[in-house]
Amino acid sequence: MSDPDELLRIEGIRKSFPGVVALDGVDFDLRRGEVHVLLGENGAGKSTLIKTLSGAHSPDEGRILVGGEEVRIHGAQDSERLGIATIYQEFNLVPDLTVAENIFLGRQPRRFGMIDRKRMEADASELLERVGLSVSPRARVRELGIARLQMVEIAKALSLDTRVLIMDEPTAVLTSEEVEKLFVIVRKLREDGVGIVFITHHLEEIAALGDRVTVIRDGRSVGQVPASTPEEELVRLMVGRSIDQQYPRERAAAGDALLSVEGLSRDGVFHDVSFEVRAGEVVGVAGLVGAGRTEVVRAVFGADPYDRGTVRVSGTSLKRHDIGAAMTAGIGLVPEDRKGQGLVLDQSVEENLGLVTLKSATKAGIVDLRGQRDAAARIAGQLGVRMAGLGQQVRTLSGGNQQKVVIGKWLLADTKVLILDEPTRGIDVGAKVEIYQLINELTAAGAAVLMISSDLPEVLGMSDRVLVMAQGRIAGELSADEATQDAVMSLAVSIPTTELEAPRGR
Amino acid sequence: MAAETLKSGTGAGGAAALRRLLLDNGALTALIALVIAMSALSGDFLTTDNLLNVGVQAAVTAVLAFGVTFVIVSAGIDLSVGSVAALSATVLAWSATAHGVPVVLAVLLALATGVAAGLVNGFLISYGKLPPFIATLAMLSVGRGLALVISDGSPIAFPASISHLGDTLGGWLPVPVLVMVAMGLIAAFVLGRTYIGRSMYAIGGNEEAARLSGLRVPKQKLAIYALSGVFAAVAGVVLASRLSSAQPQAATGYELDAIASVVIGGASLAGGTGKASGTLIGALILAVLRNGLNLLNVSAFWQQVVIGVVIALAVLLDTVRRKAGAAPTPIGSPGGGKGKQFATYGLAAVVAVAIVGATSFLHNDPKSGTQKIGLSLSTLNNPFFVQIRSGAQAEAKKLGVDLTVTDAQNDASQQANQLQNFTSSGLGAIVVNPVDSDAASNPVAAAGKAKIPVIAVDRGVNKADVNALVASDNVAGGEQAAKAIADKLGGSGKIVILQGLAGTSAARERAEGFAKGLQAYPGIEVVAQQPADFDRTKGLDVMSNLLQAHPDVQGVIAANDEMALGAVKALGSKAGESVQVVGFDGTPDGLTAVEQGTLYASVAQQPSQLGKIAVDNAVKAIKGEKVEETVKVPVKVVTKETVAGFSG
Repeated sequence: MSDPDELLRIEGIRKSFPGVVALDGVDFDLRRGEVHVLLGENGAGKSTLIKTLSGAHSPDEGRILVGGEEVRIHGAQDSERLGIATIYQEFNLVPDLTVAENIFLGRQPRRFGMIDRKRMEADASELLERVGLSVSPRARVRELGIARLQMVEIAKALSLDTRVLIMDEPTAVLTSEEVEKLFVIVRKLREDGVGIVFITHHLEEIAALGDRVTVIRDGRSVGQVPASTPEEELVRLMVGRSIDQQYPRERAAAGDALLSVEGLSRDGVFHDVSFEVRAGEVVGVAGLVGAGRTEVVRAVFGADPYDRGTVRVSGTSLKRHDIGAAMTAGIGLVPEDRKGQGLVLDQSVEENLGLVTLKSATKAGIVDLRGQRDAAARIAGQLGVRMAGLGQQVRTLSGGNQQKVVIGKWLLADTKVLILDEPTRGIDVGAKVEIYQLINELTAAGAAVLMISSDLPEVLGMSDRVLVMAQGRIAGELSADEATQDAVMSLAVSIPTTELEAPRGR
Repeated sequence: MAAETLKSGTGAGGAAALRRLLLDNGALTALIALVIAMSALSGDFLTTDNLLNVGVQAAVTAVLAFGVTFVIVSAGIDLSVGSVAALSATVLAWSATAHGVPVVLAVLLALATGVAAGLVNGFLISYGKLPPFIATLAMLSVGRGLALVISDGSPIAFPASISHLGDTLGGWLPVPVLVMVAMGLIAAFVLGRTYIGRSMYAIGGNEEAARLSGLRVPKQKLAIYALSGVFAAVAGVVLASRLSSAQPQAATGYELDAIASVVIGGASLAGGTGKASGTLIGALILAVLRNGLNLLNVSAFWQQVVIGVVIALAVLLDTVRRKAGAAPTPIGSPGGGKGKQFATYGLAAVVAVAIVGATSFLHNDPKSGTQKIGLSLSTLNNPFFVQIRSGAQAEAKKLGVDLTVTDAQNDASQQANQLQNFTSSGLGAIVVNPVDSDAASNPVAAAGKAKIPVIAVDRGVNKADVNALVASDNVAGGEQAAKAIADKLGGSGKIVILQGLAGTSAARERAEGFAKGLQAYPGIEVVAQQPADFDRTKGLDVMSNLLQAHPDVQGVIAANDEMALGAVKALGSKAGESVQVVGFDGTPDGLTAVEQGTLYASVAQQPSQLGKIAVDNAVKAIKGEKVEETVKVPVKVVTKETVAGFSG
């Protein structure tokens, strides 16, 4: 029964936490030289599964076999000994140490008790070359961008003589050019005989990179299919029903201009940005990473200053760099970094939902807590936030439900102009559709939505108009009919750029 | 909120509700374990009087800690509260007593001082972008310094009308406890119900998310630190009214007790969590510990060890409890209860066992039937007082009485607590070595009311009757020191004076003596007078600095031997050759240096004699025998010639 090419086999793994069954019978296997994609919605149990392999959790039931032998993995040391390495979304790197020091952290080659820097750096360059990364081993990790950090993590994994490499959503934070580079390296590792467990929410990446796919739903493995399986079929397996329409945009009648921005500039960041968003309209903002999209909307919202230009809501111009003024005028911002900027993670759903309305619910310094609770209960019900109760910490919600809370706090404040910055990043397919429905409801009620997204199909599918930014300027505007991937891309690169990063999507 | 928690903790509320409360609050479990342990070990602990004492002793720390809770919940830190408390009290006393400002106005002025200090902190942090640690550390120093400047280093009598804040209502309910409860309720209300309170949690949890949700973070921070300043001012007023005097050196180091209370109470230094009820429990844990350890007669040195261990265990208990409950389970689900319960009860058991074990191991079981005497020393951080203790202990052993020694760590209010504990545990007599002569008056008067004889040793007590004062005369000693150095220098030369800890009576009286003595020698020029706080290291540093400015100095008078020895170190080979140093106290180290010639002379008190005679008089007073009102223990200048014949 033992297949010599089989690196890893998992049989009937179960793991429950108090009150929750996280894994309820998962089977999985990995062969030498393959990329095996693990697919599932957020909260389906993928993270728990890889944590049982890295030793962070030990399973309640079931067997883990490595190289045909049953093993117990009780900690990071065990998994390291078995040749299993995991690259999480949050990197385990020390910012102020050098690349070489990070790769060999805790295992630095030593000579006479002192660290042998020369050898360490030579070994590091060799590894860096293997992952195609051209940085000095002496560079400080703090100075590297996110894509390079990931390469350093991979180099670190390789230095451990890894046979099984687990990658948890490695492409979520990369531009598509960087994704291509990553794929080249992953393919090379595959040729070297490494088995790779690959987690992604981007279905198109499966066909491009994967060999086999195991789909996990509600803690169970519900199917193992070849990577060539059509996307619709994968979605059906993943969500347990078919999603007829991935982008269910229903256009509302466009009304008067709610938000008008004229000649907005911040020296060195964005220049002469003008646009307007009308009531009932969804305006998408596409562009390369670093084109200045986030910077513009933060300036519009008053979170950052600008040097010239005006921002008007319903004809009244707003004070510069004043979030309070923007909010009073009815602007809301759902920021790019949900956990870092959107939520107070250790507070409850109720408290997060009430954050924006805290001021208006205050009379003589005292907060109307009951009113806040009623409002939170109403909006959470309306948005279908899946939670144990209003008192649940938002940290423990899934990504999609967290995002609903961030949007919900603005809905409570009767926001007329909602700015969404990457609203569906890291969210599974089912929850994405729910957020799109919410956008529809908003515009139907006469609000205006400005949506930044690096997910090109999403921009094209949901926007009534698309603004394309390049190098801090508006490179062009396309109506929904004109907007195609090619049209957007050619505008996005229309001004000569030194850094040619294409947005996500093919 | 705070009172609610307390009530259900000590009362006999529903058993289920009580269990829930214990599970949700590790600190409360620790407090109850502690109370049970103390009651089991000491019969004096669980009396109404003593529990009220604990309340009074927790009050100042608790009020400070409520203010610090605001700051810590918003992910900041406030190190300045102790200094701000002292400064506010000093401002009140200075304006009311020295400048005749109406008391109401003086109180407002004190509160305004607290607000101002808080606003400066908040401004530096919000707009100057200083880390809170640094900004408030700076305020710690500035506040203390200003208190010393305003008061000129001496305690100022507190207006009588405000001093009632330190008294009792109806003869039994102490006002500080009421103030603590009131401030606790205010803090709970602010945290739970007000805009600024809810902002604290949001800012502490995620400042950027709070900002992007429209909260004006810098403004809120200003208000948060100002609130902390107000609470510090209230604490300062309570502290000073208990002592009937505003002490510029009061509440030194209290910021650390306050922070410990907040953290024991379940707040995280990372911000975003914390409750007023938890903070109150934290402050009570510290007070119960200090009180209980006094009652149990645990050695003063071991007390500090035990307090440190209990702080660590209490926080550990809470952390473990949280970890056990932190599995990814929705809040309110019944799962996870077992592990949580197990962890809580397990750790509570460990805490209880550790306390019982440590205290019963450390405390000296008194033989029944013997007379008990309490000795409260101002500090044990100095060999002089250690010798007083040895003399007293030797005499107590000889006379067959049981002697409890406590160490007030140079803190007048801690000494007040210890004296209160002595009084409530019904000792036969109390020997007190006051940190400050004014500040000791209230607790000494209380002991007098309880018909317990009090003997003062080394320093007197003002405005309260003691049965006897056993002391050497500091002023006379100072004069002798001045005479010794002037004669040695042949009546002319340049000298420097190292002063003692600003605000202590010994420092004042000795300085007075030096000045008096030098009047007879117009040829002696004092080129510098600087404080070195009775401390050897500081003596070394200050002397080194002075030598830079005055390399030609020929003599040094130090207000104690420790500083003199520091100066000798700074002088190096010059000591005893080109520069003559005179110390004060005649400690063993000092006498050794005199013998070696590096120290020219020391004005020797006889500390072990002081201790011995004090205990003698205490025993006499218990027996009802008449004692002299003042017992002078001779002081003499010891030089190399006379050192052999001298014994402390």
